This record gives sequence, structure tokens and C-alpha cells, in this order.
Amino acid sequence: MQEDYINITLADDDEDDRLFFTDAFDDIKITTRVKTFNDGVYLMDYLNSDDALLPNVLFLDLNMPRKSGLECLKEIKQNPKFKDIAIAIYSTSASEEDIENTFIQGANIYIKKPSDFKTLKKVLAEVVTINWQYHTNSMNKDNFLLRF
Amino acid sequence: MTLFFKFDFNAICQIVLEQILNDNNIKYKSVGFGEIEVLEKLSKEKQDQLQNALANYQIDIVENQKSILVQKIKDTIIDMVFNEDVVVNVKSSVYLAETLEHSYGYLSNLFSEVTYTSIENFIILQKIEFAKQLIIKQEFSLTEIAFRLNYSSVAHLSTQFKNTTGITPSAFQRIIAKRRALNQQNKTD
Amino acid sequence: MIKTLSNNISFLRTMLYISALVILVVGALTYRSITEVTKSSEMITHTYKVNVELEQVLSYLKDAETGQRGYIITNDSIFLEPYISGRSKINNSFAELKVLAKDNTTLTNSLKDLNLLINKRLLAFQTSYRSLPKNDIDDPAFIQNFKNGRVLMDSIRDQIKGAIAIQNNLLNQRNNEYKSDLMATPLLLFSLLLCSLLLMYAAYNSIYKNIKQLKATNEELEIFKESTNQSEIVSKHGSWTWNVKTNTFTYSDNLYRLLGEQPQSFKPTIENFLTYVHPEDVEQLSKQVEQMKENVELPYIYYRVVHKNGNVKHLKAYGKSLVNDEDETVLLGTTADITDEIISFKVLEERNAELERNNKELSSFNYVASHDLQEPLRKIQTFLSRLEDEEVDKLSPKGIRYIDRIKNAATRMRLLIDDLLQFSRSNKADKVFEDSNINLIFEAAKQDLAEVISAENAIITSDAFPSMKVIPFQIQQLFVNLLGNAIKYKAEGVIPKIEITHQVVEADKEDGITKPKNQFYHKLVFTDNGIGFDNTYAEQIFTLFNRLHNKDEYSGTGIGLSICKKIVENHKGYITAKGEPNKGATFTVFLPID
Repeated sequence: MQEDYINITLADDDEDDRLFFTDAFDDIKITTRVKTFNDGVYLMDYLNSDDALLPNVLFLDLNMPRKSGLECLKEIKQNPKFKDIAIAIYSTSASEEDIENTFIQGANIYIKKPSDFKTLKKVLAEVVTINWQYHTNSMNKDNFLLRF
Repeated sequence: MTLFFKFDFNAICQIVLEQILNDNNIKYKSVGFGEIEVLEKLSKEKQDQLQNALANYQIDIVENQKSILVQKIKDTIIDMVFNEDVVVNVKSSVYLAETLEHSYGYLSNLFSEVTYTSIENFIILQKIEFAKQLIIKQEFSLTEIAFRLNYSSVAHLSTQFKNTTGITPSAFQRIIAKRRALNQQNKTD
Repeated sequence: MIKTLSNNISFLRTMLYISALVILVVGALTYRSITEVTKSSEMITHTYKVNVELEQVLSYLKDAETGQRGYIITNDSIFLEPYISGRSKINNSFAELKVLAKDNTTLTNSLKDLNLLINKRLLAFQTSYRSLPKNDIDDPAFIQNFKNGRVLMDSIRDQIKGAIAIQNNLLNQRNNEYKSDLMATPLLLFSLLLCSLLLMYAAYNSIYKNIKQLKATNEELEIFKESTNQSEIVSKHGSWTWNVKTNTFTYSDNLYRLLGEQPQSFKPTIENFLTYVHPEDVEQLSKQVEQMKENVELPYIYYRVVHKNGNVKHLKAYGKSLVNDEDETVLLGTTADITDEIISFKVLEERNAELERNNKELSSFNYVASHDLQEPLRKIQTFLSRLEDEEVDKLSPKGIRYIDRIKNAATRMRLLIDDLLQFSRSNKADKVFEDSNINLIFEAAKQDLAEVISAENAIITSDAFPSMKVIPFQIQQLFVNLLGNAIKYKAEGVIPKIEITHQVVEADKEDGITKPKNQFYHKLVFTDNGIGFDNTYAEQIFTLFNRLHNKDEYSGTGIGLSICKKIVENHKGYITAKGEPNKGATFTVFLPID
């Protein structure tokens, strides 16, 4: 049975960013459940626990203490259990090369954190919508690349 | 060795569906596109049993008439984009309205309500999806792909590709190629 | 050199053989001609002896005849004396003659005849003087007898004459034979001697030359040896040989010095050498030395030695095996003191590490600029936008104006940070050059600028580009910056038109290329119809933070063109600008063709 809401998870060490993130989802039409973690270690501990509810889309901040977003990405990509999770990199900035590299490492989405709340809402809504399309129309997730 | 597959999801689903219906001894007539006419009255018990069997494949019995129509719209669009044999000479809105025998306005509203996206966006999404498949195959040049998907020019395709995915077709091709190389390397390590 | 010497040696050997042969021939010939001469003089003596004997026989007969006559006249028997003694003398002579004539049958035969005649004559004497006692000289028998005697005497004389003639003939004949022989021998001898003189001269010449050559070579060798000694000292090298079969070594003087010892101060052996080797390296070196015996060529061997004063030196040795004339394996080796190199290498390594640290610090500084500075700025902007959207009702018009000002300042700061970041990224060390489709890169650049291009309705035309070996991201950035610049500085009320041309040019023929490293360059010319600039600023516009326009007019940061210059320099290329106010600007990029 299809769930009628989308599970969203974010790992970001910045409190303000977590706030913007959860606030933004309140305005999005698609029903979402948002879970946040303060860094990569907390995130991975949760995902690896037996009763974890795996997210449909996982947002990873790249620059986190203890375990970076890229390390999380590599760990997740190595575990077949997480193969259905769409991974969105959610970062302040990176060079073109870094962005391509995270895609090559298996990220599906790269979001440069917008400096405008309206844009943030728009971007997140689009991510969720497109992911929803992939999700509901059985589209090939291997080809799912999206960048903002 | 890595093999790459091309699927026809409709055909697969159809086969799975027929298999399950046969297993449950249900008389049916296939109408196509995920629609099946059941030739007997199903008891509530039998309906639950069928529903459980289908759930293993994440197939849902759609009861809602709106959902059925949305599914038909999607199927028609996918067929229109992916199936070479379907030649559409008219605007896709006209084609959809004619094929599904509803006004385009009605279809459009209905679609947005159920899927959180517009028919136009869905068509673009599917076209870009098809373009991605063709790019990965590396059999066709961008010009050929643009022609095949009814774009007026490569630039038009590139622009729409970039607007939809945020990256250019060449970057997409590069990323997928390098990703596969990386996976290959990880497997052999 | 060795080859010519060995050639000469075989030449000399041939000379020797030929000379010996000549001398042998000369000796043999001389011996033969001497024996010939002896033989012919013996022959002459022999002939004369025969002649003398024959003459004597005749004279004895004459004496006998004279005696007979005397006796007949005087009837004194004293006159018979010569006859009686003559007889025995004739017999003696004949005996002698027989011996002398024993090899000569004609002579023997003639002697036999002579003997018969003489006997007859003597008989005639006898009869005559036996019939004589009557003393009748007129007796016809006597006269007859006398006459007979005379005839016989004549025959004897003839016979003797004949024998002498035979003898003389023989002598003449032999003389003629030997004469021709003896005439030929001196000529032959002379020419042979001449020949051997020539050979001797040639041999001498050759030896002389060889000696000269050897002397010169020796001198060269001396010089070479000395210069090798010098160069070994200067370059801190030592050399050694090792005859594997006899297990004998030679060490060059400087090899001893490398060990901190006086030249040739100890016997060159492995054992003695190993006493200088650093204890930690002994085992490995011994192993490698063993390997040396078997392999023809070996990799470098590195080890340390400890001088008696405790100094540790790093040595590097290389050996090569050869096979000498006696079929023995000889290793030729060179050992170098690389302590200085190792020390300077370490210094270099340290400096490199320091540079790397500096670079890392710099890139972490970049990261501070990119991430840590951007993050608070982004939050300021996000909160501002939320303030504007959600709380605008609660603000006075003044407050709204302030928010506007803050927004502008923040936007400008973002622009600066972004551009600075881009500039520092174009400095990044890990640049990967790839054969790239420039047309695709150009398309991607246009995609990046799609918004402004469509907003300004800019018309961009370009040639088709060949593929080039570039850093794709940077070239895309270059295109974005140049195109963006052209659109940003568009002339008022004019649709921006940008034309990009491509050409392959020769470095020498282009003013924009100074001190070229390559012969050919790609020349990309970006021409626009924008506001242009005064050509006096053509150089300045590439310097960091240099702006030709007030920031109220145009939103540039003065970094964009510096990034372009940086990128082009990363590609070992050149970029120049040319402008004309209110007409447009031309940017020319040269990228090298390998």
C-alpha cells in the first residue's frame, strides 16, 4: 500500500538551517514527515537501527562535525538496505567539481542552500514533487539527478 | 560484468497482474493500461485476498474513479513519449482530450489535484526521462535525441533539460558514465 | 685502438715469418753455391792432375826414347837408365791415372788404349836395343824397328793429346754449367736481400708507428687517469673492480677517501670494506653483493658507511659485469657519495611539506571564505527575506527602507564572496587537463547564462571550435565570465551582440603572444557591441578589484576579468583586451596547441 505522505530526513549541524528547513515544509502541499539530526553520526546511528523508518528523501549537509555529509553518502551507498532512499546534498556552497563529484558518488539531488526563504520553499517543494513522481511512477531512480 | 536493462513496466505489470488473477481463479477480461474488467462479482473476502496478493508487488486496486482517470492520463503520456509507434501530430493537450474523451481543462485540473504537478510538467518530466535513457545508451547524438523528442533544436532540448534537472545533458552523461565506472571499480575491489 | 694494435701485431708476425724464410733461402743458396765452387775447383785440380800425369807419362816415354837413342849411339848402358826407371814411373803414373779416371769411362777406355800403345812402344824399345848389340845402325830390321817406334810414339802422343782433350772438354763443359749457376746465384741473393731489407724497413716502420701510438695513448691514459682521479674527488665518486673468479679487488684512490681513509691504505677486500658499512645496512649489502656475482646488470644499491670519526655517509653503488680476455667475470663498479643530495632532498622535502602546509592553510582559508563567511551571510539574507515576507506589516516605511539597504549590502557582499571564491578556486593546484569538446563547454556556458541572455535578448554567434586539451570547468568559467561581461556592459538601448571567432595561429605572427612556448595557438576572439573602454586601461582591467565603472552604474566586483586572466595563465595562454568607448570591446584569448 502506498503511504500518502513522504518521509523527509535532514542531517545538519546548524540550528537555524534546521529551523528554515522544517518551517519551509509546513507550507508544502504534499504531506511530509520531517525528521532532523544534528550531525552525521546521529543520522547513521538512527538509519542503522532496526526500527528506523527509512526516509524517501534524505537531505545531507556536507560540512558537519564528526561525520561529514560525504561520508554519510558513501556509507549509505554501500548498504543495499538504503537503495531506495533519494539523497539530496544540502550545502552552503561547493565548486562545480565538488558538485559533480557528489553526483558521481551517488547523490541524486544537489541543493545550494538559498539565501531567500521563498526560494528555499520553492526548491524543497520541487524536490519533493519530483521525487514523488519518481516514487509513484516507478521511474528509474538511477537517472534521478536534480540540481538547484 | 554489468548488464543494463530496458524495461517495459506496463508489460511486466500486465504479466504479474494476469498471473495473480489466474492464481486466484478470477475470470477477467484485459482492457489494457492497468484496467481489468472482472467478469464475476467478487465477494468482500475474495477482494481482500486479491488485494493482499497484489500488495506484495505494490500493486493497488484503484477504486477511485479520479485515480483511474489520472492513471489513464499518465499511461497515455508515457505511451506518447516513449512509444515510437505513437505518432502525435496534434498538440498533446488535444491528443489527450481526444484519446481520453474528456475536456483538457477537466483532465488538467484533475491531474494537478491528484499528483501535485501539472500535465505539462509531467510530459516534460517524461520527455527528459526518455532523453536521459537515450543519452545513457550513447547511441544517438543530442541532435538526434532532440529530433526524436520533437524539440525544435538541441538548444531547446538542452535548455529544458537544464531547467528540469539543473544540469546540462553533457554533465548528465559525464556523471552517469563516471558513476558507473566507480561502481564497477568498487565491485572489482 | 686495441684493434689497430692487434692488426699490427699480426702484420709484424707475418713480417717475421717472411724474413726468416728469406734468410733460410739465402742460406741454402749460399751453401749450394759454395759447394758448387768447391766441386768445380776440385774438378779443375782433377783435370790438371790427369793432364799432368798424362804429360808425365809422355815425358817418361820421351826420356825412355832419348835414353834408347843415347844407348844406340854410345852403346853405353848408362843411357838405358831412363828407360828402366821410366817404365816403373809410367806404371806409377798409370796407377795414379786409373784412380783419377775411375769415374770417367771415356778416359778409362782411352787410358786402356794408351796403355796398350805404351806397352807396344816399350816392347819396341826392347827389341830395338836387343838387336842393337851388333851395333849396326844400318841394319834394316833395326831401322824398321826404329820407324815402328816412331809411329807408336806418334800414336801415343795423339792418344795422350786426345785424353787431355777429353779432359779439357769435360772441364769446359762443367765450367760452363757452373758458370751459369754461379752467375744466377748472386742476383737471386741480392734481390732476396733487398727484399728482406724492405721487409725490415716495413716492420720497423710499423713498430715505430705503434710505439708512437702507444706512447700517445699512454699519455692520454695518464691524463685520463689523472682527470678521473680529479673528477672522482670533485664528484665524490669512487670506482672499483672485482674479479669474481680470483676474488680480487681494486679500489680507486677516491673510494678510500669516500670511506674516510687514505688512498690504498688497506687491502681491498669485501671483508675490509664491510667493516665501514653501517651495521644496519651490512646484511642487505652482503646480499646484494652476492647477487652481483650472478646478474649482468643490477639496480642501484644504496647503503651507508660510517667513517672512523663517526661521520655517516650515504653511498650509492652501481655495478656492471664484463668478461675479460681470460674469460673471467669482472665487475666494474662506481660508488658515489650522495650524502649531500640526500640532505638537500630532505631540505627540499621539508620545504615542500611547508609549501603544502601553506597551500592547505590557503585552501582552508578559501573554505572559510566560501563556507564560514557565506553561512552567516546566507542566514542574514534568509532572515531578512522572512522579515520582509512575514513581518512587513509591523514595520514603518523607514524600517522597510533600512531593510532594503541591508539587503543591497548583503547582496553585494555575496557577490564579492562568490567572485573571490571563484578566483581562489582558479588557483587550485589539482588541475586536470582533458581533451574537451569546446563546443559543449561553450553550450554549457550559455546555459549558465541562459537567464541574462534571454532577459537581454543577447545574440551570440560563434564559430565551431575544435577540441582542445583544457581544464573543462575553468574554460567554462572563462566563457561565462567573458560572455557575462559583454552582456553586463551592454550599451544603453542596444541589443547585445557577441561574436566569437576561432582561428589557429602561429605564435610569431601575433602581438598578443610574448615569449611563446608553443609554435601554434588557438585564437579565440570575443567581440561585443557594448560600452567598450578606453584603450589606456587595456592592461589594468585584468588586475584584481580594478573597476572602470562606478558600482552604482554596474554591479561588477572587479574580479571577473582577473579570474579570466588566471584561467588563461593556468592554460599557459594569453589574454588581451582592446576597447573603444561606446563602440565595443574585444577580448582575445590564445590557448597553446601541443
